[in-house]
Amino acid sequence: MLGKDDRIEITVTVNGESQVVDVASSDLLIDVLREQLHLTGTKRSCDLQICGTCTVLVDGKAVSSCTTLAVETENREVRTVEGLADGETLHPLQQAFIDEFASQCGFCTPGFLMTAFALLDEVSRPTPEEVHRYLEGNVCRCGSYTNILNAIERAQPTTER
Amino acid sequence: MTTTGHSIGKAVPRPDAFAKVTGRAQYSSDITLPRMTHAALVRSTSSHGRITNIDTAQAEAVAGVVCVVTGRDMAELGVVDRHYGLTVLDQPILSDDLVRYSGEAVAAVVAETAQIAGEAATLVEVSVDPIEPMLTVDQALEGATLVHPERESAGSDGANIAAYYEFADGDVEAALAGAHYVHEAVFRFPMVAHYAMEPHCCIAAWNGTDLDVIAGTQQPFKVRSDLARMFGLQQNQVRVRVPYVGGGYGGKLLSKYEPLTVALAWKAKRPVKLLLSADESFRTISRHGSVVTMRTGVDADGNIVARDTRVILDTGAYADKGPGVAKKAAYRAKGPYDIPHFRSVAMAVYTNKVPAGAFRGYSTPQVVWAGESAINEIADHLGIDPLQYRRDHLLERGGDFMPSDTPMDADLVGGLQLAADGVRWAVPAPEGRGKGLATGVKDGGGGPSRAEAEVRLLADGSAEVLTGTSEIGQGAHAVYTQIVAEELRCDPARVTPRLPDTATSPFDHGTEASRSTVLVGNAVRKAAMSVADQLGEMVERLLGTRRDFVIEEHRLVFDDGSDAVLAELMARDRNLPVTHEFELGPIVSLSYHDTLVSGKAPLGTPSNFYEVGHGAAEVDVDRETGRVELIRYTSVADVGKALNPQTCAAQDEGAAIMAIGHTFFEEMVFENGELLNGNLAEYRLPLAADLPREGMGVELLENEDGPGPYGAKGAGEAGIISMAPAVAEAVYQACGVRIHDLPLNPQRVWRALNEATTQPGPD
Ligand code: FES
Ligand code: FES
Repeated sequence: MLGKDDRIEITVTVNGESQVVDVASSDLLIDVLREQLHLTGTKRSCDLQICGTCTVLVDGKAVSSCTTLAVETENREVRTVEGLADGETLHPLQQAFIDEFASQCGFCTPGFLMTAFALLDEVSRPTPEEVHRYLEGNVCRCGSYTNILNAIERAQPTTER
Repeated sequence: MTTTGHSIGKAVPRPDAFAKVTGRAQYSSDITLPRMTHAALVRSTSSHGRITNIDTAQAEAVAGVVCVVTGRDMAELGVVDRHYGLTVLDQPILSDDLVRYSGEAVAAVVAETAQIAGEAATLVEVSVDPIEPMLTVDQALEGATLVHPERESAGSDGANIAAYYEFADGDVEAALAGAHYVHEAVFRFPMVAHYAMEPHCCIAAWNGTDLDVIAGTQQPFKVRSDLARMFGLQQNQVRVRVPYVGGGYGGKLLSKYEPLTVALAWKAKRPVKLLLSADESFRTISRHGSVVTMRTGVDADGNIVARDTRVILDTGAYADKGPGVAKKAAYRAKGPYDIPHFRSVAMAVYTNKVPAGAFRGYSTPQVVWAGESAINEIADHLGIDPLQYRRDHLLERGGDFMPSDTPMDADLVGGLQLAADGVRWAVPAPEGRGKGLATGVKDGGGGPSRAEAEVRLLADGSAEVLTGTSEIGQGAHAVYTQIVAEELRCDPARVTPRLPDTATSPFDHGTEASRSTVLVGNAVRKAAMSVADQLGEMVERLLGTRRDFVIEEHRLVFDDGSDAVLAELMARDRNLPVTHEFELGPIVSLSYHDTLVSGKAPLGTPSNFYEVGHGAAEVDVDRETGRVELIRYTSVADVGKALNPQTCAAQDEGAAIMAIGHTFFEEMVFENGELLNGNLAEYRLPLAADLPREGMGVELLENEDGPGPYGAKGAGEAGIISMAPAVAEAVYQACGVRIHDLPLNPQRVWRALNEATTQPGPD
């Protein structure tokens, strides 16, 4: 068992690129993404796995990076909001968020996008109840919920796997 | 989708949307400067006491710690004036004598990493001689101890009053005594948290004798002026930049942690970043909890003859925006009715709790909770439908909201009817359900202020619009690009808004009071019109005749279909070789808009416009559990003209969703002055699942009757005003209980139901 300050090198694939990072066993995924890899698109708010603004995908599943240890992602695939677009071509969810005015301050947007991505990956045509249940872990204090729901709806027919 | 030259009122995508959906939008918390250090704060666990010692030795010894700062360091750091605030400058950078609330910062650790700073901060030992804390406004008014012993109470009603205001007309006591019926009640509104998703963040760096600050603030020029005053600098030595801000709602107005971060950077001699945790933002600022005692008298015909209101606002340990919030509470308490005799008193009272400041709507939700609940109850007492009662008594267009102020600029009855239609008012609610409505009005645009804007048309036909408006999510920058595009007859996508930087942005008072679209928007429009004029004159000079044209990419396209390259025209006009396109510079204009001043207006500045929010609700009450479910809600905002309808509607809907919080469940809970639920595990915010079952209806009333560009009024606050009284009326209609305390959580509703069934009702 590692002590909390022991450092270890891990290999993790982030947005399709293999990365070797030197982390302490207590380092959180969010800090490694934001500080070591300079992927600041993943946002931090509550630190408690409640607001969802720090949501990223680990092996395709939505997780809160604020409560995920970086070492847990060893040899796994992490996808962040920076990895959604294909170059300058936006993912349909991103385009739908623009078209539906789903961002106000935009601080929650990366988290909602990643949650929505995982949802549509799991269920291609979710019922409103399924969407609500999935979004229970995402807070938008600006209250853009209706537009976010519309964006998720709009993105469905063409969402790629 | 967007037609060139016709961008106003169109679904133009927000200019910040691409950056926000790709994760490229930079917020203060994302920024790192070279050699930057990180700060963590030590917060008091005592609610009230005298600091006897702060032992920093252990923290200083930690490897990676750069310095530890306490209130005692301020003089040595060259701080000229350590206090800040709005009108009452009572908040110190760090206190060196009294702690006034549990959670108050009393020391700061600067270290190489945030983690080291945070760990070292736990090693700082703060010794405090306790003083009896003032935990409620009643206690504070009695004044066993004083939160600010050096200050005199601002009112004669008791101790610890930070600010006191009164507006009155006529003889309210006589009118109440002669009234046919007097409704009297006490209404409570909880202290609630802004919870902007991005916690407060500031980065400060000293470059020689100049100061560079990056902060998530709604008021960069106010921060600049505070920093210059406090640190003995000229204003031109202070630069404040504001990247995207992850939510504000009023909680990032005035200075917050900027003065402290600057002091830390001074001591550390390196750039310092102070990024709070969400829990710390909970302990920074809040919305005033309030107690409103209101008496409203009506004559035999139901006309309102008198209203007497007393508003007590819990402003916490520091005044912050409290004085302004109190002033507007007194000003708005009478409500949008023609009432010949009224007296409205409001006071901000210090307690030993988290400070309260500006929060979307200022104090309007608190006083409208009382005022509109009272109107609903009066209508009920008189046996008149509450919609009909308001049809008969709401101010008409041109009526006095307050004597000698701007006449009412809205069709209140028409707006309320739209809200009522949204919940199918005329159709009776089924068993177990009820409907209710309310109308809320605030004077809009804030007090005296200047707004400036600069528009630059560049030689390639693209444009920039510079303002001091912080982009906190409201979408003001979207609106500015559309105004420029409308006046220059170009594609809004070719207009770029610049985020505030006090070194280069034109001046602005700040991003508050729904003023940006109207006041800054007017300045933007004037500047854009001037650029369009200059362009038109240039064309006339070169072509010998005045021509109509639009800008398409880098060309002017004239009304006869011919075109010309803008850079070539500019080169000819400026006698420069066209090969030197970059030499051409822009066609530029700086314009401003000042608020009016009137000696007669009670506030000195007549209301710029009225921000009107109507709400209508249909609820279902579960008598077993006391749970109230929102079935339908319609919010009607009178916006004059929606320049970007989607953004405007999103703002109003967002405000209404925020109101779901204080109406149904949000409340900061204290025990012995300690905030018990200052984290998201224990403080619940509205979620997608809290939307009304049948959806949230938002209607924008567009009569083009506002003083802003194209007839716009301010927006973004209206939706938060009217939900609570509309829902409370709906609850009454559903199950017969009247509740005067928010939030209407299941415990409270259940208790009220139980009391109603166990007590013999009036018959
Ligand atoms: S920051 Fe991770 S869930 Fe809120
Ligand atoms: S857009 Fe601001 S929190 Fe969602």
